[in-house]
Amino acid sequence: MRTHPSYLRVLLTFARNSLVRDMTFRGNFLIETLSSMSWVIMNLGFYVLVFQHTPRLGAVTDWGEYAFSWGKYEFFLFLSTTLVINSLVQTLFMENASEFSELIRTGKLDFALLKPIDTQFLISLQRVQWASLGNLAVGVGLAAYSLVRLGWVPTAAQVGLYLLFVACGVAIMYSLMIALAATSIWLGRNQSLYDFWFYITNFSRYPMEIYHGPLGTPLRLFFTFIIPVMVVVNVPARFLIRPLVPQTVSDLTLPAFAILATLVSLTASRYLFQRSLLSYRSASS
Amino acid sequence: MAVVEIESLTKSYRVYHKAEGLAASLAGLFHRRYRDVHAVRGINLTVEAGELVAFLGPNGAGKTTTLKLLSGVINPTSGTARVLGHVPWRRENAYRRRFALVMGQKNQLWWDLPAAESFRLHQQIYRIDRDQYERTRDELTSLLSVRQLLSQPVRELSLGERMKMELIAALLHSPEVLFLDEPTIGLDVVAQYNIQQFLKHYQQQRGITTLLTSHYMKDVAALCRRVVIIAQGQIIFDGSLDEIIGRFGGRKVVTLLFSNGHIPGDLRAYGEVLSAEPPRVKMLVARNAVTATLSRLLEHHPLEDVSVEDPPLEEVIADVFSKAEDIGRRSGAEAAGRLVGG
Amino acid sequence: MFARTSTWWTILRISVEERLVYRGDFALSTLMRFLPIVTQIFLWWAVFSAAQSVEPGNGATRIVGYAYHDFVAYYLLTMISRAFSSMPGLASGICRDIREGTVKKYLVQPIDMLSFLLLYRIAHKVIYYAVAAAPFALVFYLCRDFFPAGWPEPQILLAYAAALLMAFLLGFFLEATIGMIGFWFLEVSSLLFIYMLFSFFCSGHMFPIDMLPGVWGELVRLIPLQYLAYFPAAVFLGKVQGPELIAGLWIQFGWVVFFIAASRVAFALGVRRYSGFGG
Repeated sequence: MRTHPSYLRVLLTFARNSLVRDMTFRGNFLIETLSSMSWVIMNLGFYVLVFQHTPRLGAVTDWGEYAFSWGKYEFFLFLSTTLVINSLVQTLFMENASEFSELIRTGKLDFALLKPIDTQFLISLQRVQWASLGNLAVGVGLAAYSLVRLGWVPTAAQVGLYLLFVACGVAIMYSLMIALAATSIWLGRNQSLYDFWFYITNFSRYPMEIYHGPLGTPLRLFFTFIIPVMVVVNVPARFLIRPLVPQTVSDLTLPAFAILATLVSLTASRYLFQRSLLSYRSASS
Repeated sequence: MAVVEIESLTKSYRVYHKAEGLAASLAGLFHRRYRDVHAVRGINLTVEAGELVAFLGPNGAGKTTTLKLLSGVINPTSGTARVLGHVPWRRENAYRRRFALVMGQKNQLWWDLPAAESFRLHQQIYRIDRDQYERTRDELTSLLSVRQLLSQPVRELSLGERMKMELIAALLHSPEVLFLDEPTIGLDVVAQYNIQQFLKHYQQQRGITTLLTSHYMKDVAALCRRVVIIAQGQIIFDGSLDEIIGRFGGRKVVTLLFSNGHIPGDLRAYGEVLSAEPPRVKMLVARNAVTATLSRLLEHHPLEDVSVEDPPLEEVIADVFSKAEDIGRRSGAEAAGRLVGG
Repeated sequence: MFARTSTWWTILRISVEERLVYRGDFALSTLMRFLPIVTQIFLWWAVFSAAQSVEPGNGATRIVGYAYHDFVAYYLLTMISRAFSSMPGLASGICRDIREGTVKKYLVQPIDMLSFLLLYRIAHKVIYYAVAAAPFALVFYLCRDFFPAGWPEPQILLAYAAALLMAFLLGFFLEATIGMIGFWFLEVSSLLFIYMLFSFFCSGHMFPIDMLPGVWGELVRLIPLQYLAYFPAAVFLGKVQGPELIAGLWIQFGWVVFFIAASRVAFALGVRRYSGFGG
């Protein structure tokens, strides 16, 4: 007899149970979806305004036969990638990470530790926040619209790579979130978790080229190599926007680094999570 | 076969000692002072397969800590324990599939969902095959008569009904060892009785090894032959309920009915008077002096009826607890040991 | 008399003790609030460097009348406006009081709810400014190059102070009025969220409202939200001057008076409804 459960089926049951719960509070669910969607649309409005006053963000990069710049619709493709990744993170992990400290405070973490299943898996995915999927729809819609306006049809390989690196982005964001939740347990406070998360991930929202100069370069290096939030959106977005012919060295090295960063983030956050469990298990009565 | 083997198990943890005053709280920013709390100090215990053992003890005695150690939820400071041959705090899936912990003060079912949905999740997590799952669920729900409540959101259930659902959730995977921490806390008398009866029936039928903590002596009296008293993190008694009374209930309750309806004034000489409502008097008499006292009484006073009873279990146990705490406060470990001896 | 002084002294000392413990945290989290501005600095640099071929820093190019440094200065100044006008938890607190029935204490005891909440809020803000002053000063010192004109003239500063003070009052009474909705609807959190969204967008917190084109700009100028963030910042930057400035201050004052009245009326009506239902 196998001793571990089928993780996929457990995940589906989590998703199903969350949906059943959401459907019992249908009005609330609808309002939540709509309000988070209107937040996204207002943000979009801001960028529409910005592009009324400029044709692009930053300078045009010229590589012989191919020139690239963040024009309106290139940037909107970038923005849609941000939306897709953020909404996936919110749908799957956000509520669970913020619930983690509550589980510790009320001692309900005990139940999670009893179950014959990986504790981190259980804690991270218990509740699925279906209402955040509305933003995914906005993101996909925006991407489709931008591609049409650009007159650009990505190849199957591009889409495949895009999806792969979106998954990497989600994994990096998740690692950061669960690491923050775990360390906040250590420090014994949690209020600032969401703020901290927001401030850090803020640096993933714009193309990394805009960070240059004496302040920008260190920032870019820090948020690429120390806390890798800048590869989260930049890498997948690039696969969708540009043809797959590598133009510069970084076109190859950055995706490779993104894979490495994903693996390192997942490992490091798992280590932090285990350590926080250990301190719970030795400190609580 | 021993199912639970505990050897000199110890658990202490540190609590942050908060200093008072401005200067001290400034100093506390840099240097924190801690105080060690010893929740469990060197417990030895063996439980055989199929036994039903009750842990009794005052609040903070270490009962819940012991159950949490055996469930692997927390790590011990030192000592060893084996349950079904597993070291609990290794938290191997193979072990976690074989036991269950029910905590009366915490609930694990999804609040907004019908219990049936949470049960299904358990089925997935514990990998119970469909037929067995359905059979166990139906059997348990009918035993506890909550079948018709399965599709109602848990938040709409009463406390007793919720506790029944928690029990079912814990028993779905047919555990071989069951830890029950205050399973009837806060329930009304009827619900308490139902759960007691269920546990008794289920335990007898399945023969599963059960460790239970409870504040309600009725739970203990109804369910357990073997009782372990824990105080100050140590086992001060391990034996049957009757033995407790034999050993710690040093006095008996003697009820006297005077035939002339008149209560004599010299009763204090015979023992401690509990109540005097003519013609009836209740008094406490030392166990070994009961016969002598009664014959003297009969000699000097006209008695219509006499009865001799053991004092209520609650009182005996409360007495044991307070003695243990007194002694424990005075000289800690060694004195509690003396209480076990004597 | 002596006893009362010593009570006050004790309260003060305890609050200071408590603050000392959390001060490091608090100063840090105040600093963190400026982090999003860092991304804004780079975003606008990218916008300006695309709009012109030379260095954006020289101020030659302007977008809706703002040079590059004006945009950054604007975002920094809205942080100050928001420090005055934002009222975290005010409306939701009033709604909770109504829902849970604690609002009764204002009906039974001789305290006026709005005055009590206002005093409480003032105390709260004063403590906040005392602790947040240092991080704010640090950020503005580091960013002084974005203010090439230096300090504005004294009259402008005076007008700025008046605009900030009224931003506080407007923020308070506007949100208190919204909180009174709790007398009519039980579940208000989503309504409050929508208000927050509008306020973020239309108050000028997200971008200077001068950027809104045509009818949208006129519409947003008609509603009072701009006085919560945009107006004080614009006054400081000299975007509104002379008669326009005087008019702006009067209109802001008018809105303050309007919402003082509105919150009073809403409270009176709400209480009548509340008692009508037997609480």
